[in-house]
Amino acid sequence: MSGTNGALRQFTRRSALTALGAGIVGVTAASWPRLTGADIPGRGDNSLSIAIMGTAADAAARQKVIDAFAKVHPEIKVKVQAIQAVDWKDFFTKILTMVAAGTPPDVVYVATEGAQLFAEKLAHPLDEYLRRDAADMKEYFEDVHPSLVEAFMYKGSLFQLPIDWNAANMYYNTASLRAAGLERPADDWTHTDFRSTLAAMKKAKPADFTPYYWTNRLFGGVVPWLYANETSFLKETKSPGGEWLWDGFYANDPSRSLRSGGYQWLEPNADDPRVFESFDYLRGLVKDGLGVRPEEGGGSALIGLFASSRIGTTPAGGYWVQGLHEAGMTENDFDVQFFPKWRTQRHQFGTAGYAIMKTAKDKDAAWEWVKFSSSLEAMQIVFPTPNTTPARRSMVNEQLYAGTGPRNWKVFYDTLDRFPSTGPIPAPPQQAAVETALMKNVSLAVSGDERQLKDALTAMQRDLELALRRQP
Amino acid sequence: MSTATSTPTGTGSEPGRKPAHKGGTTSKRGRVQQRWLPWAFLAPTIVGMGIFTLLPIVASIALAFFRWDIISAPTFVGFDNFAEVVQDPTVRVSFLNTIVFVVVAVALQLGLALGLAIMVQEKLPAWLRVFFRSAFFFPLILSAASVSIFMRYLFNEQFGVVNWMLSLVGIPAVPWLTTPGGSAAVVILVYVWQNFGFSFLLFIGGLASIPVETYEAASIDGATGFRKHFYVTLPLLSPTTLVASVMAIINALQVFDQPYVLTRGGPGDSTRTAVMVIFESAFQRLEFGQASAIGVILTLIIMAITAAQFRLSKRFVFYQ
Amino acid sequence: MTTIQERVTTTAPIVTRKKRDWSVAVRVAVLLIASVFVLGPVLWTLSTSLRPPSESFKLPPAFLPLNPDLTSYTQVFKQLNIVALVVNSALVTGLIAVGQMLTAALAGYAFAHLRFKGRGALFSIVLATMMVPAQVTIVPVFMLIRGVGLSDTLLALIIPAIPTAFGTFLMRQYFMGLPGELAEAAAIDGASPWRTFRSVYAPLAMPGLAIVGILAFNFHWNEFFRPLIMTISEQNFTLPLGLVSLQGNLGTGSISVVLAGVVLSMIPALVVFMFGQRALQDGLTAGTGK
Repeated sequence: MSGTNGALRQFTRRSALTALGAGIVGVTAASWPRLTGADIPGRGDNSLSIAIMGTAADAAARQKVIDAFAKVHPEIKVKVQAIQAVDWKDFFTKILTMVAAGTPPDVVYVATEGAQLFAEKLAHPLDEYLRRDAADMKEYFEDVHPSLVEAFMYKGSLFQLPIDWNAANMYYNTASLRAAGLERPADDWTHTDFRSTLAAMKKAKPADFTPYYWTNRLFGGVVPWLYANETSFLKETKSPGGEWLWDGFYANDPSRSLRSGGYQWLEPNADDPRVFESFDYLRGLVKDGLGVRPEEGGGSALIGLFASSRIGTTPAGGYWVQGLHEAGMTENDFDVQFFPKWRTQRHQFGTAGYAIMKTAKDKDAAWEWVKFSSSLEAMQIVFPTPNTTPARRSMVNEQLYAGTGPRNWKVFYDTLDRFPSTGPIPAPPQQAAVETALMKNVSLAVSGDERQLKDALTAMQRDLELALRRQP
Repeated sequence: MSTATSTPTGTGSEPGRKPAHKGGTTSKRGRVQQRWLPWAFLAPTIVGMGIFTLLPIVASIALAFFRWDIISAPTFVGFDNFAEVVQDPTVRVSFLNTIVFVVVAVALQLGLALGLAIMVQEKLPAWLRVFFRSAFFFPLILSAASVSIFMRYLFNEQFGVVNWMLSLVGIPAVPWLTTPGGSAAVVILVYVWQNFGFSFLLFIGGLASIPVETYEAASIDGATGFRKHFYVTLPLLSPTTLVASVMAIINALQVFDQPYVLTRGGPGDSTRTAVMVIFESAFQRLEFGQASAIGVILTLIIMAITAAQFRLSKRFVFYQ
Repeated sequence: MTTIQERVTTTAPIVTRKKRDWSVAVRVAVLLIASVFVLGPVLWTLSTSLRPPSESFKLPPAFLPLNPDLTSYTQVFKQLNIVALVVNSALVTGLIAVGQMLTAALAGYAFAHLRFKGRGALFSIVLATMMVPAQVTIVPVFMLIRGVGLSDTLLALIIPAIPTAFGTFLMRQYFMGLPGELAEAAAIDGASPWRTFRSVYAPLAMPGLAIVGILAFNFHWNEFFRPLIMTISEQNFTLPLGLVSLQGNLGTGSISVVLAGVVLSMIPALVVFMFGQRALQDGLTAGTGK
């Protein structure tokens, strides 16, 4: 490295490095607002911040609601933060980190899974506002089934207004059913009917096909089978109270007598003989090749498998319609029926709505948002396509499902009317721990012999006990 | 083969060579500069690590003595967290799983990497060698999360490609993701699939620095094929093996993404790892004190294993 | 310089004999099978992302993307603000990589060529930090970031990732491979220690720095856990976070769209890999081979 050549090389290298260094400094300086988040609109100002689960596309869809809201309440500035998460558990983690970071949102869109966690620790009850604006809210409650509302009652107070919901109904592939030589099942088909349907499907198409596909998760996993058998993996009790709401808005509802101050899940119930019975039924399906061993979580293969006619039946709710439509299924290809009956035909559902955070700076403004979001106008903007079931009965109509199917879309809302004891996903404040305790034992329970099932349920009982004992 | 080859790698001991500047400038200014100069070089790293690693470790240890849910104020609970953690069957199983995972995955990873490296380094057309090297390294550039996403589809019991391939040779469908044995196997296979390339590359480097004359001498002595590798390659490669195994073990002990996406730790606790338990108790159950207690225990175990490795290496690693 | 050159050239293979030439064929066969197992899943992912979801589980599997269908890709662009995600990922990974290269070069040089008290102990501590899982330190780091008012910013991802134990280790090895005589010569010429580093050692260590940069890029481009905890606003999300959301809650996502996202996220890492491959392979050889 000597002589002019070397010197030159050194010179050019040095200037190249200098340029590179300057470039890096330049990029850093130019992107400083991006690096510090200073370019995010509405950041740090005092506008009402609303957190929803979803993608940027979902936030954009909500923008129309914000615009409509601005017309009614020009004095309230609103920003929606779409938070991307794999499931609700992930989403709640994110909200909690926001709380920990000292930047909690004012309003959060919370599903049943987190309703009691938020009610217990983070959310502000809506009671005073509902009493104040009772006249305005009458129309909303008339349009929404009380089962959904009760899911958001906690210890006598209401914390959220249901906006959308889904019950675990049974989807089936029309062609598979026809190939098995069967008609659409009756509304009150039983678990034994269901089993023979699966067997017929299997006989008609023995290879490369699964009559019953299900995944191991809190919604649509084992729980619907427990509910149909009049049991659950947690002992279900109800707390007193809530008369103010029921007498105020649902005095004449036929199911008024069922309503309470909210669900309570305080004890494990995995040692109940009926729980064993339900699991044993599922174990039988797996053993005879009628149902799959359930994979944990996710289920992102479901749409692809169902759309390619590899699956005969699977439990899902109204949220599935749009996905199937996009995957190329027409209303002739699939349909939906109630979940099979056992001791009862009680269904499982999950619902979601806005909760006001205790820490909200301006709770009155937050309530205005919650109230507006429950209006027909706002909900029609938010749910243009059937990718979930609107909480308002009047919106679950011909028009919503035109062009996508299913033919029997009425099943979705009829579930609540026909089976008024239909209940929410069991989710006490310790939901994350409880969910793990349930899910981790399901696969083992249904994929071995009877002994393995008994051991798995014993383990589940123990794990649930530990989970419930934890501080929420 | 000068300096670097005569130096043991990564032991943290004094390098086997005198530092460069001992006879530097003799002026007063020079000597003063000499004393603070190393610290100027080290400052960004040392200060950064102090703030972002060491301080958090200390905080984590302190946190292990508190009950804290991030929302309300922490309360001091003494050794309660440790007591609970040690008794928790899930935590115990997850530590056991982690150890089994590390042993099997690292053995497979190193074995595969070494075997393939030897094969690639022997006589081959240059373009093929480049192709194989790139192919084996390729999975490393993917994220563990996305690898796990597509592997989940491939290992599906009814419709996955893996079971379809097995069916071609007459093996009935394996319930990969829904039985304890199957899911453990998938997590290990997917992990090794993605990570063996790194060890492979290290071994390629190690093999390349074995002088050709050594083999010539060995073949004169009549060593061929397997014997040649056993008696010549392995001992000469032992420093590389040490580095490769230390890094592989440290990485494997912290495995998270694969089981998290593939199996969520199930069925049962069969694929739950130590780091997953930390994540779950901290970010899903908000038991930050307990999570810290598990973390402290895990860190101690990792350090003990690494220390043991270096102790052992003094006996088995052969330096030229 | 000589040492590195020597190593690169002695990649030359090990003695073989003529009469055992068939063994080459066996070896190539084994290696080919191995590469099929390594590349097959990736090919399947690519081809499945190019088919509509109803054909995603075709058996026998289609490994080659015939009649590609790009709707899944347009779907990804519709669902995610890919440009913003890529800009964030690029900023975060780029600045971490540059930061790691600078700090690791300085510290690695000090550990290799400068003499000071407690060098061995300090180096051991640096190495030991590699053994602490990110999950152990993330909560205190999070609180620290909150304390300095950087919550939910990209800087919260960048700054804590800059000090690098592995990079420091690699650079120390690399600098130790460079002869100390260079420094002695420079000192005789009257160069200050800083100048010796900057003009003599640092340029020679460029390949080593390239490895540190490439590995940092690769690791942080794919990083999932820290961004998951550290960023909150979607405007601050990096690519891997955006991709998991494609899976959809309750399995409403389409497999083809998910896989299209996976393929898209591979591309930038692939580009870096193609340009950096050579440096990476040679560098790792020299850096940790011995």
